Parts: sequence; C-alpha cells; structure tokens
Amino acid sequence: MDTINTRKRIEEDIALLKSMIYRMSGLASESLEKAVWALKNQDVEVARNVIADGDIIDELEEKLDAACMEFAARYQPLGEDLRVVVSVMHIAVDLERIGDYGENIAKAALSLSRLPQLKPLIDIPRMVEIIKEMLRLSMAAIDGHDGEMALKVFPLDDEVDDLERQIMRELLLLIMEKPERIEQSFNLMNVSRTLERAGDHATNVAERVAYMYTGRPVKAGSYRRRKTAQDDGN
Amino acid sequence: MEYNSAKREGLAGAEEMPVKISTRGVDLYYGDRQVLKKISFDMGEKMVTAFIGPSGCGKSSYLRCLNRMNDFISSARVEGIIEIDGENILAADTDVIALRRRVGMVFQKPNPFPMSIYDNIAYGPRLNGIKDRGTLDGIVEKSLRDAAIWEEVRDKLKSPGTGLSGGQQQRLCIARAVATQPDILLMDEPTSALDPMSTARVEELIRELKKDYTVVIVTHNMQQAARISDYTAFFLLGDLIEYDRTAKIFTSPRDRRTEDYISGRFG
Repeated sequence: MDTINTRKRIEEDIALLKSMIYRMSGLASESLEKAVWALKNQDVEVARNVIADGDIIDELEEKLDAACMEFAARYQPLGEDLRVVVSVMHIAVDLERIGDYGENIAKAALSLSRLPQLKPLIDIPRMVEIIKEMLRLSMAAIDGHDGEMALKVFPLDDEVDDLERQIMRELLLLIMEKPERIEQSFNLMNVSRTLERAGDHATNVAERVAYMYTGRPVKAGSYRRRKTAQDDGN
Repeated sequence: MEYNSAKREGLAGAEEMPVKISTRGVDLYYGDRQVLKKISFDMGEKMVTAFIGPSGCGKSSYLRCLNRMNDFISSARVEGIIEIDGENILAADTDVIALRRRVGMVFQKPNPFPMSIYDNIAYGPRLNGIKDRGTLDGIVEKSLRDAAIWEEVRDKLKSPGTGLSGGQQQRLCIARAVATQPDILLMDEPTSALDPMSTARVEELIRELKKDYTVVIVTHNMQQAARISDYTAFFLLGDLIEYDRTAKIFTSPRDRRTEDYISGRFG
C-alpha cells in the first residue's frame, strides 16, 4: 500500500509541475504576442504591460525551480520521473528566456512608438504565430505523454528562420532606400533577430519534451532541413 | 578463458569488458516450481553488478546459484551453464568447497561468529590449513583494512565480534568474506539492517572493494543500486527483464516494466 500511495503523490506532484510549465508557456506566448501587437499598433500601454508582466514569469520560474528541487529531494526520482523533473527545470529556463524576449520587443515597441511606421508589419506577427504553435505543440506533447508529437516542432523552426532572413533582406533594402529611417529599420531587425532566438528556445523546449517521453536524447537538427552554405551566411 | 562471448552472441551486457561470470540459459526449480527462466547474461570483472526486482523475483535465488548455495535446498534443481573464468561451476565435478572459497558471501543480517574479532577473520584461513601465526596476523590485518574497519578494531582484536555495532559487524563479516581471498563477493542486501551512516560506510567500502573484487549485490534500495553499481539487472517473476549500464537503467530503461518498477508503480 505504501508504494501505491507514494506513487499517487508522485503523480500529483508531477501534475503540479506540469501545470506550472503550461502556465509559463502560456505567459511566454502571450508576452511575445502582446509585444508584437504593441509594436504593430504602436500601443504604448500594452507595451508597458508586457514589461510589467515580465516579473510574473520570473517568479513562476523561481517557484518551479524550488518545486523541482523539493520533488527531487522528496522522491529521489528515477526513470521517467527523473527525466521529467530534470527536463522541466530546463524547459522553465527556456520559457523564461522567451518571456524576456517579449519584454525586449515591448521596449523596442516603446521606442518605435514615437516614430512614424516604416511599413505595415506582416512577417513579424507571422513569426510569433509559428513560435506560439511550437510551444502549443510541446505543451500538448507533455499533456498527451507523447514524445513523438514534440518532433513536429522542429520543422517549424525552419519557417521561423526563413521569415527572419526574408525580413532582414527587406529591411536592408529599406535602409538603402530610406536612410533617414535607419533607426526604425534597425529596431525591427533586432525584433526579428529576437524572435528567431525565441524560435531556438522553443526548439530546445521540444527537444526536452521529446527526451522526457522517448527516453533518448533528441537533437532538432536531425528533424530539420539540411543546412546550406546560404543558411549560415544569412 | 572465454572473454566477451556475449558480445559475439549479441546478449545483454555485451560491451567491452572482461567477463568474469557468464550465465547461459539457467533454469532453477524448487520442486515443481520454476523460479528462474532461461537466464543469460555476462557480468564484468571488477565491476559492481546490482540485482533489483520485487520480492520473489528470483534475484536472491540467482545470487545463490553463483556459489552453489542452492545445493543446500534439497528440492532445488539448476539447469544451464554458469561459467566463472570460463569454467562451468554447475558441472557435476565442480569442487564446491573450492568454489565457495573463490566466491565469498555477505548476508542481510550481520552474522559474526561467537568468537573474537581476530578469530572471526582467521576462521576461514585456518580451515584452509593456514596455521602460521605470522601469516594469520597478516591476513587478519589485511582483511580488516580491506573492509575499512581496521582502525576501529585494531586495539580490541580479542574482544567478541558480537560486541561491535551493527554497521561494524557487517564490515567484520565483509572482512571475514575477503579473508579467504575470493575473486567474487556476493552480497544479499548487505545494508538493509543498517542505519544510514553505517550504510554509507558499507557503500563506500563496496566501491573500494571493486578495485580487487567482482561484486554482485542484491538490493531492494534502488537509490543504492544507482549509487554503487556499474551494471544493473532487473528481475521479474523469474525472468531477467533488462540488464544494462546502471546509468541507462535508472534514467531511460528500455522496458516498460523496468520503468514501472524503478518509479515505484509496483513492487
């Protein structure tokens, strides 16, 4: 009976850790989404909210960290339990970083709000949509205990990278055409680069999720398009 | 000597390591009841191999095959091959006494003989015909040092072994087991009756012992297996379910049943 009760408590605590991860993922997605919305609509208030909400993700990460430590100390987990608790700690770091990127974009939105818009933003919001989908897939994979599902995330990062390259090219052209708008272009380049990195962190999350439930170390590279010299050159 | 035969046959444990104990298709019966089913795997020399599994899975029974202790159970019948250094110890002409000298054993509860610490250690060597006082003194000191208890008992070698603490008694029993200079040490839950500090001492000792000995340990404590062993074998209902490097077994086992056992879903 002792084993059964302990097992039940382990399951409950893992469910708690997972719910914290879902919440963090939701907040990280929201942070990017709102920040880019603020950028697109030059909405200072929303941008400020994103910056203020950054603390919530940070606090959640600290709580999750403490909860994972306690879980490890209490149950000395092995096998899948061990993989889950270690992976969750890593995932929290990636999500927290994505949250930070949302803040950075919100700051860019604030400084761009003073300036006339360079062009209607289309591809940058598209990048955010893909990253949100990447996180959604990873969370669904955790929820469904399905390591294979997390593998579907990896090709999406190729799309994020493609968009980033496209945006860079466009903005370079704009800089040449309208040197007086160099500040806006430069800020948007930063935003695009930031989102590309957010995509990398979302990929890390998927790698961890895949490892959690397949038990083998998974490298995103094996599931993505092969790199070409052009990819590296940017 | 047949090293790495498992590698050729593609069996569990088939990695680059000198094989000390090689088991092929071992069945064990107690009367009509089969308690081990076609066990086949190789254990490495100077490695610590841990056996885990729920009560009644056959791990202790298998351990007792390794020094033919099951011979004491009249209804027990063993089939198959267990080779130590390439020699089948289940063969009818095996010198069982010589085998047990090479394969020492330590039990769950410390069981010092009702005699002095010195005589506990000297008992085995004396049975083997060593009479010379100086030689015996040397063996006693070396064995007690090997078992990491020399400093604690060097001034009271004449005191009864039963007067020591539980943890010390267990280390005394380990010293007694190594006194006959075995190559292999079998340990059947050697720390289950000890407090955490004594357990830590014995675990440390096991890690030291593997420099000179091949250690096979049965434990119910999964964390202990994870701490001290190089390889782990998981037994269930008489089958060897999985055998692999310890790190692999406790982080990402191949078999669902292993996963369920190590995460406490049953057992």
